[in-house]
Amino acid sequence: MFARLAFRNVKRQIGNYMIYFLTVTLTVALMFAVNNLIFSSELKRFSDMNQSLKDGLIVMSMFIALIVSFVLGYATSFMLKLRKREFGTYLTMGMTRKNILFIFVLETMIMSVAALIIGIFLGLFIYQGIMAVFANLLEIDFEFSAYSSGGLLFTIALVCIMFLLASVTSAIYLKRVSIYNLIHGEKKVEKGVRYPALWQMVSILSFAGLILCLYYFNDGLDLAYTNVDRSSREIFGSLAGAAVCLVLFHIGLARSAVHFFMRNKKFCCRGTNTFTIRQLSGKLSSNSVIIGILAFLIGFAVILVNVTFVQKVSERVGLDKSYPFDINAAVGRENKQAISIPDGIRIIEKYQKIKTRIEYQIYDSGSDYFYGFTPWSGKGYEGITDAYMKESDYNILMEALGRERIECKDGFYLLAASPHIAQFDFSKAVLEQEGKEYHYLGIIEDVPFRFWGYFIILVPDRLVSSMDVESDCVSIDLEKGSFDVRSMQDELSYVYDQTGTDDFAYFRSDFDIKEYARVSRNETSAVLVVGAIYMAVIFVFLAMAVLALKTLAGLSEDKRKYEVLFRLGTSERQQEKTLFYQIFSFFFLPFALPLLLSIPTGWFCVRIMRMTGLGHLKEIYFNTGMIAVVLTAVYVLYFFTTYLISKRNTVYRI
Amino acid sequence: MNQILEVKNVTKYYGNGSIVTKALDGISFSVEEEDFTAIMGASGSGKSTLLNVIATIDRVSAGNILVEGRNLADMKEEHLSEFRRDKLGFIFQEYNLLDTLTIGENITLPLNLKRVDAKNTAAELSRVAEALGVGDQVDKFPYELSGGQRQRAACARAIITNPALILADEPTGALDSANSKNLMKTFVQMNQSFGSTILMVTHDAAVGSYAKRVLFLKDGKIWSEILRGERTRQDMYQEILSVMSALGGDTDVC
Repeated sequence: MFARLAFRNVKRQIGNYMIYFLTVTLTVALMFAVNNLIFSSELKRFSDMNQSLKDGLIVMSMFIALIVSFVLGYATSFMLKLRKREFGTYLTMGMTRKNILFIFVLETMIMSVAALIIGIFLGLFIYQGIMAVFANLLEIDFEFSAYSSGGLLFTIALVCIMFLLASVTSAIYLKRVSIYNLIHGEKKVEKGVRYPALWQMVSILSFAGLILCLYYFNDGLDLAYTNVDRSSREIFGSLAGAAVCLVLFHIGLARSAVHFFMRNKKFCCRGTNTFTIRQLSGKLSSNSVIIGILAFLIGFAVILVNVTFVQKVSERVGLDKSYPFDINAAVGRENKQAISIPDGIRIIEKYQKIKTRIEYQIYDSGSDYFYGFTPWSGKGYEGITDAYMKESDYNILMEALGRERIECKDGFYLLAASPHIAQFDFSKAVLEQEGKEYHYLGIIEDVPFRFWGYFIILVPDRLVSSMDVESDCVSIDLEKGSFDVRSMQDELSYVYDQTGTDDFAYFRSDFDIKEYARVSRNETSAVLVVGAIYMAVIFVFLAMAVLALKTLAGLSEDKRKYEVLFRLGTSERQQEKTLFYQIFSFFFLPFALPLLLSIPTGWFCVRIMRMTGLGHLKEIYFNTGMIAVVLTAVYVLYFFTTYLISKRNTVYRI
Repeated sequence: MNQILEVKNVTKYYGNGSIVTKALDGISFSVEEEDFTAIMGASGSGKSTLLNVIATIDRVSAGNILVEGRNLADMKEEHLSEFRRDKLGFIFQEYNLLDTLTIGENITLPLNLKRVDAKNTAAELSRVAEALGVGDQVDKFPYELSGGQRQRAACARAIITNPALILADEPTGALDSANSKNLMKTFVQMNQSFGSTILMVTHDAAVGSYAKRVLFLKDGKIWSEILRGERTRQDMYQEILSVMSALGGDTDVC
């Protein structure tokens, strides 16, 4: 009998369950798609470092399942509270709490199973979509990707955990609640906020704190090259501070915004304004913490996706900048364990034909004169010496790249690995040889080879005659065509034992292969991009679902109120307008500021790109804009679904 | 006296197909300015339906209802809202105060809907709240007040716009006898001091006895009508009881 009742209830309550069902289905679909990715043979094939990536994705998937189950448990208890009068009636009719729990859990199970089936069906397509994005990020051709039983089982296991946690929440509520509260619970009045002025102050201070954190974040970026410790302290400290301020700002705002409007008598006298803000008052103050958390989730999603996209763009752009040639090698003369340039060339030729090859040297004066103009000298920087390059070598490389030659004449340039070097003043630096002085001519950011260090001094050939060769270098362009880049890189690598005691031995290669860097970076960034989008989408869905459920849970009470408004002479249109403002304000509050965070996020991303000299600023702004548009689209979808359901159930008409 | 309400041959059907209920069966009557009319009858006699169609909450199946000479059947939905807002005041059994609004905000809500400015709103609130004895309760929320106080606040809300007609649907239904008497005194005060025209539905003889005129409904038709004239309330009460006895309906006494 109870099972039949549960089935009938699901059919009857389908309208109320719509948002819950929509959220569970979409979450299951996304989970299934990502879990398939985790267990896919394609991922294994793409990446040789896939075990750590796979572990990371599993942890992320479980972490998200935990958050989802928390939210769905919360949502389930809301559905329970929405129908408490019905359950109270069951109890008065002689049903036991166990009977009611059985009915409700069965109803939730029916919904969960339906959501699981439809979610998995949807997930089949989403998975192919993710794999297409993945293939695109890896720059390989997309093929139909096989589904994995591991992914399916993992999804079912996660949904079961979610369902169990949600059932436990319901059981705890049903065990504790009194029959009186079940039947008369809806008469409970949401009381006003205590100390609104204090909360207003919290809101203002936390907003100021947020601005301050953004300022310190900016400062932290400035220090990135000069004071790494302080920089990371400021960057991470300001990020943590911004998260706290964001949450506090929304808690304070939720508890004081209504008070602020209520003081404006002129505003309150207009139409249903008083009604709207009073409706919001109780809802916002009793949900202020959850609004703060939702704002954090949306803000986190905005920043996460932006940062991931910047990382992707910077990798793509940075690759061409850091690897002007297909292969670049710098082998130190003092390193006896290294693979020599001739040996390296022999290995390379085994895999692919060499099109052009330019050999050159880097020289060492044994002094740290130039580093003296930067913060990287003195205590803690012992052993760092200035590196030099001949003007003729540089120009041969530039000519090979089709770029402009440089003439040093009677001066020298600084080849900067980072545009950050420009902030230091080298104008007083002077080189002397045989009584002749050579003066500083400027900084060159167009470096034709990849090197590890801050800068190299580019000098007329005669100046290096008295210096030692520090490294033998070669820049190589290969013939077009595919080759086994992993094996080539492996063969060009060796175990480097710095101390000769095996205590500090590691695998290293002095040959930087552009193709290898591209493949490795693509693999990592593909997983990061997919993972970040997955996490952001889930967070945004959940935030919107919680707002929608919170709104729909108050429908029966709202219906009675709107009937009173109707009787007092509020037209259907005016009721719709009032309802729109009521729901929009509730949805808008935790969404507005996190979305606005797109602006400083975009600005910081552009700044990072500028600092690293990578450019492509328009693309970054475009990405930030697109992320904001997509988030707004999800918001609009949930808002309008909620509004339309509410309108159908609340607005009173004859 | 001006005629405020005219009900002409009003009929109301519910349902469709083979199951049709005739809730009102060709009812006609009129209400004049400053009148206080009670509509009484047994459950299912059609009294609430009659109130609903006059309140424009429900449509008539046939016939016409005129308020201050305007035919409600000719009005469009938008105008009906304005009509309810400007011409009618409502008092319900369950008070129907909005629990998220303070008493003051509840009372002034009809003025807000009319977009009366803040200064005049405050003055009107002070006038009606003081008159109805809730002047010191305006900053409280409904849950902080007793049932009687809440219903007085609902009365204040009903008269604040000076409506042409106040409609009350079982206004004492949720009150005890002492509060019912107080509320009826308030109704008499509203009728006499504010000149309000009241049309009240009740099945309580004692409550009906405060009215100047009582219409009895049976099976959707006006079955009888009594006028108070110069008689005392007690005499009116006795006559109501005897009519109800003849009607065969219930005779609740508070």
